[in-house]
Amino acid sequence: MKVETEKESGQGGAGFAKRRRPGELAIRGFLFFCGALSIATTIGILYELGKESFLFFGDEEVGVVDFLTATIWQPQVGGFGIWPLVLGTVLISIIAMLVAGPIGLAAAIYLSEYASNRVRGFFKPVLEVLVGIPTVVYGFFALTFVTPLLRSLFGASLVGFFNVLSAGVVVGVLIVPLISSLAEDALRAVPDSLRQAAYAMGASKLEVSTRVVVPAALSGIAAGFVVAMSRAVGETMVVTLAAGASPRNFTLGDDSLFGYILNPFQGAQAMTGYVVITASGDLSYNTIDYNSIFAIGLTLFFMTLGLNSLSRRFVKRFQQVYE
Amino acid sequence: MTNDTSTGSTTGKTADESADGRMTMESGPRTESRIQADDAPGVIETKEMSVYYGDFLAVSRVSLDFGRNQISALIGPSGCGKTTVLRSLNRMNDLVATARTEGEVHYHGQNIYADGVDPVEVRRTIGMVFQKPNPFPKSIFDNISWGAKINGFRGSKSEMEDLVQQALEAAALWDEVKDKLADSGYSLSGGQQQRLCIARAIATQPDVILMDEPCSALDPIATLRIEELMLELKENYSMIIVTHNMQQAARVSDKTAFFNVKLNESGMRTGRLVEYSPTEQLFTSPTEKDTEDYITGRFG
Amino acid sequence: MSVEAPERPRRELFPTDEEYRDHLGSRRRKAVGFKFFCLGMLSIAVLALATLLYTIVNDSFGLVAVVNENDPGAIVAGLGHDPEVTGLQEVTYEELVGLLEANVSSGVGRRLEREQRFYEDRLVFEDEATWAEICASDDPPTGCNAAPRDHNNVYALVQERVVVTDVIASYQLVPSIFSPDRFEAEVAEGFEAGRFPDHDLDRVTYEWRAWFNPTFVTTPQNATPEVAGIRTAVLGSLWLVVVTVLFAVPVGVGAAIYLVEYARPNRFNDFVQTNINNLAGVPSIIYGMLGLAIFVRVLEPLTSGAIFTDGVPPSDNGRTVIAAGLTLGLLTLPVVIISSQEALKAVPDSLRHAGLALGATRWQTVRSQILPVALPGILTGTILAIARAIGETAPLILVGASGFITADPTGPFSKFTALPIQIFQWTARPQEEFHNIAAAASIALLLLLLTLNAVAVILRNRYSRRAE
Repeated sequence: MKVETEKESGQGGAGFAKRRRPGELAIRGFLFFCGALSIATTIGILYELGKESFLFFGDEEVGVVDFLTATIWQPQVGGFGIWPLVLGTVLISIIAMLVAGPIGLAAAIYLSEYASNRVRGFFKPVLEVLVGIPTVVYGFFALTFVTPLLRSLFGASLVGFFNVLSAGVVVGVLIVPLISSLAEDALRAVPDSLRQAAYAMGASKLEVSTRVVVPAALSGIAAGFVVAMSRAVGETMVVTLAAGASPRNFTLGDDSLFGYILNPFQGAQAMTGYVVITASGDLSYNTIDYNSIFAIGLTLFFMTLGLNSLSRRFVKRFQQVYE
Repeated sequence: MTNDTSTGSTTGKTADESADGRMTMESGPRTESRIQADDAPGVIETKEMSVYYGDFLAVSRVSLDFGRNQISALIGPSGCGKTTVLRSLNRMNDLVATARTEGEVHYHGQNIYADGVDPVEVRRTIGMVFQKPNPFPKSIFDNISWGAKINGFRGSKSEMEDLVQQALEAAALWDEVKDKLADSGYSLSGGQQQRLCIARAIATQPDVILMDEPCSALDPIATLRIEELMLELKENYSMIIVTHNMQQAARVSDKTAFFNVKLNESGMRTGRLVEYSPTEQLFTSPTEKDTEDYITGRFG
Repeated sequence: MSVEAPERPRRELFPTDEEYRDHLGSRRRKAVGFKFFCLGMLSIAVLALATLLYTIVNDSFGLVAVVNENDPGAIVAGLGHDPEVTGLQEVTYEELVGLLEANVSSGVGRRLEREQRFYEDRLVFEDEATWAEICASDDPPTGCNAAPRDHNNVYALVQERVVVTDVIASYQLVPSIFSPDRFEAEVAEGFEAGRFPDHDLDRVTYEWRAWFNPTFVTTPQNATPEVAGIRTAVLGSLWLVVVTVLFAVPVGVGAAIYLVEYARPNRFNDFVQTNINNLAGVPSIIYGMLGLAIFVRVLEPLTSGAIFTDGVPPSDNGRTVIAAGLTLGLLTLPVVIISSQEALKAVPDSLRHAGLALGATRWQTVRSQILPVALPGILTGTILAIARAIGETAPLILVGASGFITADPTGPFSKFTALPIQIFQWTARPQEEFHNIAAAASIALLLLLLTLNAVAVILRNRYSRRAE
């Protein structure tokens, strides 16, 4: 695709000497700058997050060890352990994956193995719409429909006004298309000859789909799951509106595991929720609160970076399976 | 045109029918290949079978009787419907949404296209090998054990290992892979992969094996090995193969069916059976002119 | 090759015909069950979408229980018009301002005027001297620089302060259609329970209200949900889109052209590509943090407009349209780059070769041969990226979108709000009426996105048709 034009040979006939083309160079320079801007963005993110986090950890009230190990997040009294916020994020993400995983994968199997082109032509755009709706509207939906529904199903005394389950379910709905479209691509990429071989041996359609096609497409499906997980971790508006603004501070050993720590019916602030609430209040530069946002942001950045790299590795494996 | 139908070697085995109609083995000298007596019942029989894809009549009113423990070859120019006929014998055409079959196909005395017949059951004892080798992206061992498990194999782990070994030995692949059964099926060469697919088909204990141009994707040496394998397998299995290579049909098959395609009154190119005779006879003294034109290379 | 045929496995290891057939039935049933299970899961996703849309529409229309402290008809009559003929909304601007003058305390009036003037050329509540003084001070109010109010703006004020419309309860659309009497009963129960201490049950009227209506879109923000509109927010969103596009499109398309047409496949360029792919997956809130730290804080002289004016800058801090627009621009940049790359890669190499073989430089080839062919694809990708940016909320919160401004943004250095921000603010309030307008604003946002996506799809179809 990149055909070499400017050959280095300066020799050649009189008319073929290399002409200086400053305009060409300028344009090339500008375009290069555009490309390099993306690197600048990454550097900027790492630098800013790192710098402010450094200030955050440098404050005498905060310690890195404390940040990484303590389980109380209560800035007013000097509690800066990140685990309550991570707990909130992880609880919501896991609920979201439990919702989106089966739905997304089953939908992908149906669209790839069972549906006619017309049916696919209907369902695929619908799924695309799901991922195009702004997350703040999802947050509204979680707060005004899902939470009241849960409260009437399970009782208002069990289910809090802010609860992790509502946020998790709605985030799950939001990420279904991420799983279904990647999984469907992977399933459709399985060569038809494999299905034919399996049918010819006397297998039913269920057996062909689940025991030949899905295992063959596994890396692509895994990539979809990981991308969805990464999106759930970074999701902000739904968790802010539906999961509440109190971090679930806990003490291992003292607090009951299923009654409190993992309880889905109560609220738990997530990392992204904390950042939003703090930033929308009064925020002066160089306060602990201001710096803490960046420390949380840095953690979030590495979490999603790790998940995204993992998913890319799965995609590469999925592309290599068929020699 | 020289005729090279291969016959068996001098040592071999006798094939016997056991009480439930399945083949069992006895040691003994290997017999010469036998031509099925024309009035003995065949293993698969089609009666006036036609296959439509939507409104398009692909092949019209085929009546064929395939012999037990024989290799029957289907030959003809492209578009004559030979693959369609092959795939209708194990109801693989059902996978095409617009396909429709008229007429009957009898197997084990039953019309497999009757109402209420489940294609899954039909395919249980008719195996198929495809043109391009298509092993599963699993280990060599799992490729072979998969079909057995699907069909209800209930032996122990060591009995499964025996089954896999027997299938690989029957496909003449055991010596080459016995130390690497856990390797992926894709790690084998093209010819080995095709033999793996044959082993995979054998593992489900079929009595008929259908082969759709099994050697067309292979080099001549691999082709030769597969042809030798086919002749060995004939002792225990009935085989029906589609081939576009007349010499191959002449080398391995006992009976050959020649199909041709012609434009019919409605303007469709429909295939039909022209002639079905013992191979030697078809190639040396064909009864139909079309057959003679085809085998002498005047068309196709 | 072995001559001995191998031993065949014992028959007993495989099921007999009857056993097989027995099992076949259950296998078949499982297969059918699985198909319906998958279809069911797919339907759940569709159902969730339908429920969401239903919720929004349900909350945007319905019955309301209204108490008007002063009857609008009487007010119109008081002005000398016939209330049957003229509605309060139809009286002149001067009459509306006059109503405010007559009914609102001078303190409130001055505060309103400082927020936003009523007339370009004269003051209503303030006197000229004081006005000049406060506008010259260090911290001038928004009314000094912003455009004056308009008809809808003042009408909303009149409703709020003269008529004093109070929606005390609202009902959802579907129950309003099927059981309106229940609503009246609930309101009556509410009065008995003492939920409406400031009002009288006899003064309550019930009327149909479309919270989403054309006036809603053209009315500015207001703290009172009954009269609030989304104009400020829509204009803010549009301004943001302009800044985002002006930044992200040239840079993004430029980067894509560089990576596809110029860059040699070496490790640096691979690194750039990986980097862009990573950036596309970074959560939007992190872009918000970047924007806060750099555009709002470090580049405050630039983003507040201070370096462009000596004297008083347009904004006292960096939380302006331009800072937010640049932040959103960075957010959409990776997506624009990747989709433009796809569009460029889809152009066949033969075009490139043809151009270069004629002696054109690379840029000449790209500009006249490649870009025109790739342009529809680039355009489609850009539109979809913009659609995503319009719906973003978290970065805007971090960069300082205000939820409470009522003046329309006038330039890149204005303070601003945006549609998603409004929805967020209103949803977070406990009162029912705020949920109603949040739902109405959601409808507006979804319609905007639908239009953008439809344009993109039409473009894509026209492009693929022309390519045949």
